[in-house]
Amino acid sequence: METVNTQDITVNDLPWKIEYKTDRCTMCGSCVAACTFQAIMPAVERRSVTVSTGHRPEPSQRHSAVLMIKQQNSIENACTGCGMCEKICPNQAIKPVRNPDSRFSLLARKGGSPIKRGGRTSLNSGRTLDNIIVGRISQMTDPALDSERHTFDILAPFGRVLMPHELPLSSVNGTLNLTAKLPPVNWIYPIIFSDMSIGALSTRAWEAIAMATAYLNEKHNMPVRMSSGEGGMPVKLLESEQLKYMILQIASGHFGWNRIVKAIPKMKVDPAGILIKIGQGAKPGDGGLLPAAKVADHVQAIRGVPKADLMSPPNHQGLYSIEESVQKMFLSMNAAFKFRVPVAIKCAASATSVSVYNNLLRDPYRICGGFFIDGIQGGTGAANEISLDHTGHPVVSKTRECYLSAVKQGRQGQIPLWAGGGIGLTGNAAADAFKVICLGANGVFLGKILIQLLGCVGNEHGRCNACNTGKCPAGICTQDPRLVERLDIDKGAQNIVEYMLALDSELRKLMAPIGNSSLPVGRSDALVTTDQAIAEKLAIQYVC
Amino acid sequence: MFKLKSLDGSQRMSTQDLLQVINEAVAAGETEFHIEASGQHDIGGPLWHPEGKDLKFLVKNPGQRVGSMCLEGTEIIVEGSASADVGWLNAGGKIVVRGDAGDTAAHCAASGNIYIGGRAGTRSGSLMKHDPLYAPPEFWVLKNCGSFSFEFMSGGIAVVCGYDSEKFESVLGDRSCVGMVGGTLYFRGNASGISKKDVKIKPLDQEDIAYLDGKMDDFVTSIARSEIRDELSNWSEWYKVVPLRYEERSKTSQTKILPFRTEEWVPNGIFSDVLKDDFSVIGLVTTGVYRQRVPVWENAYYASPCEFNCTASIPSQRRYNLLREGKVEEAYKLVLEYTPFPGSVCGAVCPNVCMEDCTRKNLDISVQIGELGTYSKDVTLDKAAVPKGKSVAIIGGGAAGLTVAWQLIRQGYDVTVFESDSKMGGKLEQVIPRSRLPQQTLSAELKRIEDMGVIFKNNTKVDKEKFSEIRANHDAVVVATGGHKGRVIPWPGHERIIKGIDFLKGINKGKSPKVGKHVIVIGCGNSGMDAAVGAYEMGAEYVTCIDVQRPAADAKEIAHVEDLGATLMWPVITKEVTAEGIITQDNEFIKGDTIIIAIGEVPELEFLPEEIIIEKGHLKVTGDCRIAEGVYTAGDAIKPGRMVDAICAARHAAAAVDAYLTGTAYQMQPKTKIDKNRLSTAYFKKCHSCDVPKADDDHLRCISCGTCRDCHMCERSCPENAITRTLGSDGNFEYASNANKCIGCGICAGICPCGIWSMHANKQPIHA
Ligand SMILES: Cc1cc2nc3c(=O)[nH]c(=O)nc-3n(C[C@H](O)[C@H](O)[C@H](O)COP(=O)(O)OP(=O)(O)OC[C@H]3O[C@@H](n4cnc5c(N)ncnc54)[C@H](O)[C@@H]3O)c2cc1C
Ligand code: SF4
Ligand code: SF4
Ligand code: SF4
Ligand code: SF4
Ligand code: SF4
Repeated sequence: METVNTQDITVNDLPWKIEYKTDRCTMCGSCVAACTFQAIMPAVERRSVTVSTGHRPEPSQRHSAVLMIKQQNSIENACTGCGMCEKICPNQAIKPVRNPDSRFSLLARKGGSPIKRGGRTSLNSGRTLDNIIVGRISQMTDPALDSERHTFDILAPFGRVLMPHELPLSSVNGTLNLTAKLPPVNWIYPIIFSDMSIGALSTRAWEAIAMATAYLNEKHNMPVRMSSGEGGMPVKLLESEQLKYMILQIASGHFGWNRIVKAIPKMKVDPAGILIKIGQGAKPGDGGLLPAAKVADHVQAIRGVPKADLMSPPNHQGLYSIEESVQKMFLSMNAAFKFRVPVAIKCAASATSVSVYNNLLRDPYRICGGFFIDGIQGGTGAANEISLDHTGHPVVSKTRECYLSAVKQGRQGQIPLWAGGGIGLTGNAAADAFKVICLGANGVFLGKILIQLLGCVGNEHGRCNACNTGKCPAGICTQDPRLVERLDIDKGAQNIVEYMLALDSELRKLMAPIGNSSLPVGRSDALVTTDQAIAEKLAIQYVC
Repeated sequence: MFKLKSLDGSQRMSTQDLLQVINEAVAAGETEFHIEASGQHDIGGPLWHPEGKDLKFLVKNPGQRVGSMCLEGTEIIVEGSASADVGWLNAGGKIVVRGDAGDTAAHCAASGNIYIGGRAGTRSGSLMKHDPLYAPPEFWVLKNCGSFSFEFMSGGIAVVCGYDSEKFESVLGDRSCVGMVGGTLYFRGNASGISKKDVKIKPLDQEDIAYLDGKMDDFVTSIARSEIRDELSNWSEWYKVVPLRYEERSKTSQTKILPFRTEEWVPNGIFSDVLKDDFSVIGLVTTGVYRQRVPVWENAYYASPCEFNCTASIPSQRRYNLLREGKVEEAYKLVLEYTPFPGSVCGAVCPNVCMEDCTRKNLDISVQIGELGTYSKDVTLDKAAVPKGKSVAIIGGGAAGLTVAWQLIRQGYDVTVFESDSKMGGKLEQVIPRSRLPQQTLSAELKRIEDMGVIFKNNTKVDKEKFSEIRANHDAVVVATGGHKGRVIPWPGHERIIKGIDFLKGINKGKSPKVGKHVIVIGCGNSGMDAAVGAYEMGAEYVTCIDVQRPAADAKEIAHVEDLGATLMWPVITKEVTAEGIITQDNEFIKGDTIIIAIGEVPELEFLPEEIIIEKGHLKVTGDCRIAEGVYTAGDAIKPGRMVDAICAARHAAAAVDAYLTGTAYQMQPKTKIDKNRLSTAYFKKCHSCDVPKADDDHLRCISCGTCRDCHMCERSCPENAITRTLGSDGNFEYASNANKCIGCGICAGICPCGIWSMHANKQPIHA
């Protein structure tokens, strides 16, 4: 007699079910050895039947015990659908299958704590950008450009750009002279590798991205920049020439800034910029979260913390109001690098983004070097699922509104707008970037897609997203040395480099037909949409 | 000779008119033309003589596309320079421009010759082709070309002589040869910005020189510059550009991260100050230090449910394993390491708590552990080889005292048991109904203890005086006097109540205590049931057993008394005891001539010195069973329990005494019960009760929870052949997994029926 109660958790309660074919399995053990979640286990199954083979009922019993692979029926060891078992199985005998009848979200709040995970929002994967087409093709009216041979100027500003009349110029005897220092501006590739912290990422994953950045700069003259994320910086990088490719992030937790400050006198070059993180699109209003499972020795060292769940407050703390503390951050960050390094700010997209941007535009000190808006589709290494799925704001319309607001004031381009959160979600970051730029962004930032290029199998349909557990099967979001060892740093960096090379060509393929040889910032006339509502909201042409 | 002036004062012929005039002249058979054009386009092609004769044009000041679509047999000489698209789509004509050519000269030319005596503009030579039916097109430029020249060239020969072009960085302009897939381009002098992903630059070989040398005279003569023939013929100044073959072209970006990382990146990586990493890469499945999990053969690390539930911790699985191996004698003896009463307790009076949670019970029915005890009735163990030379006195010869005696005597101590009764055995002898415990079983087991050398001192009631004497004459004392004072509640009429323990003692002593027809037993524990059984034996007709709560007796015992005709009632709260029976709190009357109470016994401890602490009528012990210096205790004297609990306490007390006398630390580590999920019962076919074998054949059904049954399943199933079994000199076997082969799959753990293999997270540092 089997003893199972109705409330016992069974495999059918879990989000993924293992489809397993005993007749194909050779019990090589690979799937179990590969699974980092211990979601499957070898087990013995009883095959005991009464049969009658004669001409009359003549019961005889046949009993055998068969070794097989069995899915674990526990919430803690729930299969994440990462598919490593399927990947390794030599016989295609096993694979995870999405379970539409899952009761996981009801059961996983055991112990009274909210569900946590990594990845992106699963409920808001709708894509405005896919409803927009580059519909204005230069043909007879003006020449299209040759994407292969034309010289394009694919650069975006990071730093405060002054209006012509604000430029401190005077003409003496027919020569123009600068009468005051200009705010620092770096003209960089319009795509920033964004903010994934050391700790959230494994050392190898982080370094692969850093290396890809350097490689793109040094071998392909693509001035791509990478933001450190909020977990500090490796000292060796701070003290190297490659620091110039890095944007240093500071968030409310201020993790790792001791080592950064101490390294300032030893810096050979300036970093490319400073990014003050106020909020993040994946979990706006919630601070950073690094579960203890990932706070390994080296993370403790770099961040200056013990092994514990590291939660940073939802906003920058201090004795000041939020405006004051932001002002404090701007001033101090500018001052720390002797006013040579542009300082920008990153906020989660929100219904209030335009007011924030307008405030920044009014800044009389001209020390805000960029406004980064992070949309709801941004990724994260760990968040409460409720924040991931139920808070945030799409980035497209917000970017557009900020841009148009600046246009209205004649101040567009002054504080560069950078948009992120879901860029490249469907795999084509070039198209996304191009469209967002046409709508008014100066550039975009990418995160999740980079780790997907490193081998992350997670997606917004609930696959894997176990970035918070420390058990990342791809060695990306983990500090477990055995899992990190799975990540081929060179191959990872290569994937990013090559994706970016393709992206660069693809960007040209879009710039050429609209006849722009520099970035088409705000050229919304190049876009059309087959969706009336989008057309109206974004003020672009409706077509059908 | 057909001469044509396209300008007449301020009147200029349109391109259309001029071309029509030429067409008509050609149709009329004209073969030579002198055209003084004024920028008219498309002069020179496609034209053909009605009789197939050659056509010759001498053109001045043409517009765009002179010689476009020119056919073979047409020769065009442009005096001075020409505008864009000279020889566009040339299909076989010879076009000579003595001066410069505009942009896109020879664009799409597919045969014929085009000679430019000066410079050619941007995109010259682009998209040239070679139709294999005809000779390849040839395009010669005396000086240099503009940028983007020879783009997408896919056939033919182009020659750029680089004359008078030293001041240019590149005689081919910038970004030439982009997309070039065919043909050959020769140039003299410097060239840069050539598309490396499409072409390669080579020195000339003999064939190249032969071609250039052979054609040079025609070229210089055609452009009327014969004097520089020699200057152009220093072949070491020449190069050849050929497109990469399809196979030579890289389809990818040739990203090379490894050399970048090792040679140009921060040495040893940016994290090398905080973390060791050699950047080696492992697959999803690995062996040794990289495995996620490591198997450990944890034989007998966990207690089987039977061992765990038996407070005396008797490892019955080991008995069955021995039986399975055919080591019958050893199997029967093994239990004696734990208890001297396998027959009397396991086989008779014990409620067999071991069987309550037997893994096999979840499959069919428990393994028959209790009965197995009876097989050990007649075996014994070896006597201690070396006497310890120390003596221990035990007060009380019940289960607890005798178990302590049994354990200590086998360790070489001199042991004397002082018992007030005329017989040893405590309650086993005095109160347990003979029907439940056959006398000869108990006698045999008592004799086994005595034969081992324990001195039995019966009829020795220990009082205060005797206690100090005993204490003075022995190195240690164990108080195991049990509980013999029956508890009575002072209800009105309580003097009428007979204490159950006294009643049962009377029966066993053969005194046949008298009972009435109707008997009430207060207390439905096991001792109440024994009293009820005793009452029937003594002639009672109706026995009513009452309790204030649900009867605590074992189901087996309850069933037994119910079979005899007894009624169990609960909850019943007694108010008064009368000569006729009991009046309950609810004023109900229960008839009873004899009323027996069996609600527990408390010890009689008056013989102990004051220093010993008594709490709630029982001895208060420290963790190591001690009640005073050198004085230990076990059994019901501490708290009422079952026989097996007394045996358990006695084993602890014996260990404590031994530790005390040898001056070592006393410790008995309780094992954790094995998690049932570790076990694989699927191997075992469910038996119908008729299949259940005799108790000593139950090794066929025992799973051997937590203890390896040496079945070899893991060894045979390990996919990596990593498991080996070794036999030690002591005759014990051991299984081990070889780290260099093992992938940490856990098949061994999953397949093991007994749950021996544990998969532990691999904690070994990987960058030691
Ligand atoms: C009626 C009844 C039925 C029971 N049935 C079961 C059962 O079926 N299964 C089960 O597991 N348990 C049963 N028990 C419980 C079991 O009897 C006790 O757990 C067990 O006897 C305790 O052993 P012991 O050695 O501590 O005490 P005892 O067996 O009582 O032994 C103590 C011994 O010390 C002697 N003694 C006492 N005082 C002195 C003194 N001053 N000097 C010298 N000697 C002294 C006594 O005569 C006795 O022989 C039953 C108990 C009772 C009362
Ligand atoms: S899909 Fe991933 S989590 Fe699920 S069993 Fe396979 S390896 Fe384990
Ligand atoms: S990897 Fe495939 S063949 Fe091997 S044990 Fe798993 S399911 Fe069976
Ligand atoms: S003493 Fe009791 S519980 Fe222990 S093995 Fe014997 S019968 Fe089972
Ligand atoms: S199956 Fe065997 S080892 Fe397991 S509990 Fe039962 S008797 Fe003990
Ligand atoms: S079955 Fe073999 S390979 Fe798998 S864990 Fe056990 S010993 Fe290692």
